Amino acid sequence: MAEQSQVYGSSNIGEQPPSSRPYVPGFGAWGLRLMAISYLTVFIVIPLLVVNVQGLRFGLDVFWQSISRPEAVSALTLSVTTSLVMTVINTVMGTLTAYVLVRYKFPGKTLFNTLVDLPFAIPTLVIGVMLVLLYGPQTIVGKFLQQELGVRILFDTPGIVIALLLVGYPFVIRAVQPVLLQMDSNQTDVAQTIGASPWTTFRRVIFPIIRPAMVTGALLSFARSLGEFGSIIVVAGNIPMRSQTGTVYVYTQVEAGNMQAASSVSMVLLLVAFAATIGIDMMNWRRHARN
Amino acid sequence: MSIELIHVSKSFDTNPIVRDVSVSIATGELFVLLGASGSGKSTLLRLIAGLLELDGGTILLNDIDVTRLSPQQRGTGFVFQNYSLFRHMTVAQNIEFGLSIRKVKRPEREQKVSELLELIELQGYEDRFPGQLSGGQQQRVALARALAYEPNVLLLDEPFGALDVKIRVQLRQNLRAIQQRLGLTAILVTHDQEEAFDIADRIGIIDQGELLEVGAPDQLYRNPTHRFTATFLGTANLLDAHRNGTNIYLGGVKIPAPANTEQFSGKPVEVLARPEEVALSRTQEQSPGSIIGKGIVESVVFAGPALRVTLHLQGEGGKTLQALLTPSDVRDLDLAVGQEVWISLKEYHLLASSVK
Amino acid sequence: MREIKPRSPLALLLIGIAVLYAVVLFAAPLVAIIYGAFKDGIDPIIETLTDPAVLHAFEVSIGLALGAVLINTIFGLVTAWVLVRQKFRGRGLFDTLIDIPFVFSPVIAGYAMIVLFGRGGWLAPPLFPIVFALPGILLAKTFVSLPFITREVQPVLGALSLEPEYAAYTLGASRWATFRRVILPELWTALLYGIVLTFARAVGEFGAVAVVGGNIEGYTETATSFVFRAMNDRNSTGAYVVSLILCLVSLLILFLMNLLRRRMVVSRG
Repeated sequence: MAEQSQVYGSSNIGEQPPSSRPYVPGFGAWGLRLMAISYLTVFIVIPLLVVNVQGLRFGLDVFWQSISRPEAVSALTLSVTTSLVMTVINTVMGTLTAYVLVRYKFPGKTLFNTLVDLPFAIPTLVIGVMLVLLYGPQTIVGKFLQQELGVRILFDTPGIVIALLLVGYPFVIRAVQPVLLQMDSNQTDVAQTIGASPWTTFRRVIFPIIRPAMVTGALLSFARSLGEFGSIIVVAGNIPMRSQTGTVYVYTQVEAGNMQAASSVSMVLLLVAFAATIGIDMMNWRRHARN
Repeated sequence: MSIELIHVSKSFDTNPIVRDVSVSIATGELFVLLGASGSGKSTLLRLIAGLLELDGGTILLNDIDVTRLSPQQRGTGFVFQNYSLFRHMTVAQNIEFGLSIRKVKRPEREQKVSELLELIELQGYEDRFPGQLSGGQQQRVALARALAYEPNVLLLDEPFGALDVKIRVQLRQNLRAIQQRLGLTAILVTHDQEEAFDIADRIGIIDQGELLEVGAPDQLYRNPTHRFTATFLGTANLLDAHRNGTNIYLGGVKIPAPANTEQFSGKPVEVLARPEEVALSRTQEQSPGSIIGKGIVESVVFAGPALRVTLHLQGEGGKTLQALLTPSDVRDLDLAVGQEVWISLKEYHLLASSVK
Repeated sequence: MREIKPRSPLALLLIGIAVLYAVVLFAAPLVAIIYGAFKDGIDPIIETLTDPAVLHAFEVSIGLALGAVLINTIFGLVTAWVLVRQKFRGRGLFDTLIDIPFVFSPVIAGYAMIVLFGRGGWLAPPLFPIVFALPGILLAKTFVSLPFITREVQPVLGALSLEPEYAAYTLGASRWATFRRVILPELWTALLYGIVLTFARAVGEFGAVAVVGGNIEGYTETATSFVFRAMNDRNSTGAYVVSLILCLVSLLILFLMNLLRRRMVVSRG
């Protein structure tokens, strides 16, 4: 046995194997943490700080003044209203679409499922261009809508809502889908054997389970649409008091050099969006805590 | 490669997990660290491997102080309970990992991989992926991977815990054979007492972070020092008694004291008798061993090759005893529930009593 | 939930509504843009595609998007690692911060950059201009596409068992070697998925770029700002053609995303 132990236990203790020598010297845990924190600080904390400081720099009175200008109020109201309308429609349609995608087999389903993410991939500006092409006053559709129904899409509120619906299309779907996929069929089966109608089954069995995901998706699409710019500026243009949303207002103010006006409206937009994000995170926290 | 632990201790957030453990393990020994879940045995193993840092104490490998060395520098081979193979690498790539880290050339690596595949009896499996292997096969590959670069010691953390009983037995015997063939010092952590008995040179009993006692399997089984050891390693019949002069007094009964128990003189003790050392007879005269009294049979349970008999020992504060009898014994005695029998002990051992 | 064949009229109705909504909402616009691009024939298309301004705009868009991808890959990976593996005070806060670019309007981000780096700004750099120049656009694209890689990698990293890592350490591999050979291969699919999302977002960005870049033709104009300018200049065909190209790129990205997502589900299951 002594002979054999020569073969084993032959590696020298204390010796660092060749590939062990630090390839990237000095990158201990602290180095990594520093990298991550500076990354987030530079790209996120600083912009946040900048906007807020700029907004309040000249005092609260000036802040209120620039916020209460009629153009600013109109822009903010338009942003919030259109985002709310969009969120409601999107939540309903998104949940329905998610349900359909999970529950039923039908031809073209895989393609449909892939295309759901399209708004994530297409530049929002292009979305605006597409809508102009489709609903512009010189097109068939545009003419029909305007003349027959008196509805103007471009440069008006409906156009904004449609653009937002497109941009936010995937959010609720992708939030609700995984929850539905993971759901146990047993529960709906049992409900049906007890005699519940499809609507009752949905209302009392499925809905409570997907409700948190629906809320998350809704909050996400709301926050996202508040910040939307590219599609709106093309579809709705820039008419103050009419089709100018908060973000477009900020843009025009920056271009015109009115930094004060730009920052105060930015702050309000940020605040609302931030509140939405915190809402989402709180929901996630509660869900994790429950698990 | 000898291992020595000196006053090793480790706490997590003020909870002591390993308390002042000291032990010496000789070269070529297969040492089994036996304890219940949460006893600190896995933590101790990881301290030896360097995966955790000590709070206090020293660890020596072959008389070299490795306490401050990283796991990479200690050259130990570690086998985990499961899920430790590299999923995206083939069996061959897994096994030669330690070698490729050390920049060993390909022909040498391939040679070593073949040797090891032969050793673990998985020839031809070079290009399979872990996902395609059974649990037992995966553990064999994990073993081969740990052995590939000829480690100083082999550390195994409940390596067979996740496997079926039959595979477990087979694999541990294979492990023992390999370990002895290579003369490799090994520490195996387990909660399975059968496993410990089967392959250990010595067993260390660990409870709540303390290493209670160390000894050869039969030694610990027959003559344990601690009550915990006695009850952990199989069923124990424990009777309160007093040692005086050369005798032991249990209730009103007197039996001779075993040799080498003078240190218990005049002190309260517990008498340990294993079920297989408990003998039953119809009459007082036929009793082999030292009689301790009469009892009533409470139950007779079939346990495969033997029968477990539970008895109620008569006397003040009557105790329940377990006896293990062969089928022929039971037949000879014509044993039935409710029957009165004479109980005697063929062999017994003394433990310090914790009762005041 | 179990997948079933739609039999009841209700099922068919639901499917019908979902499909109709999707068709009206974006199949129609997609068709519209194809029509718009080809409406005046092939020649204007060729003209647009060979216009040096257009080509340069694409170069800027794609080149800087790749730059954003590079920055976000390195730092995003590190951030995911730190958030998953390290415990420290304020970790929860930093985790929340990562989602900010999702809801932070790009225009506002662009505005913040102007305040910081513009002339007379707080951190106005003496050496080279950031605002109205390429570095500014790079920063803008990096900001808007920041969360994707971290968010995709985090859950996968969090779900990895530690045993293979420890095994690698005992086998002699340094932390870096272990990361490279044991951990990274497990993260590949999620990482690639995050990279694709990052690239798509960075290429498609307009708001921040419009504010920070200044849309200077032939210099800081990106593909998206070209479309914006073209629309305003009534060069509609040019706008439509470039839009169509961006659409096609997006579709390509979309299919890549889908491929990767399916691989992710498989390996996780």
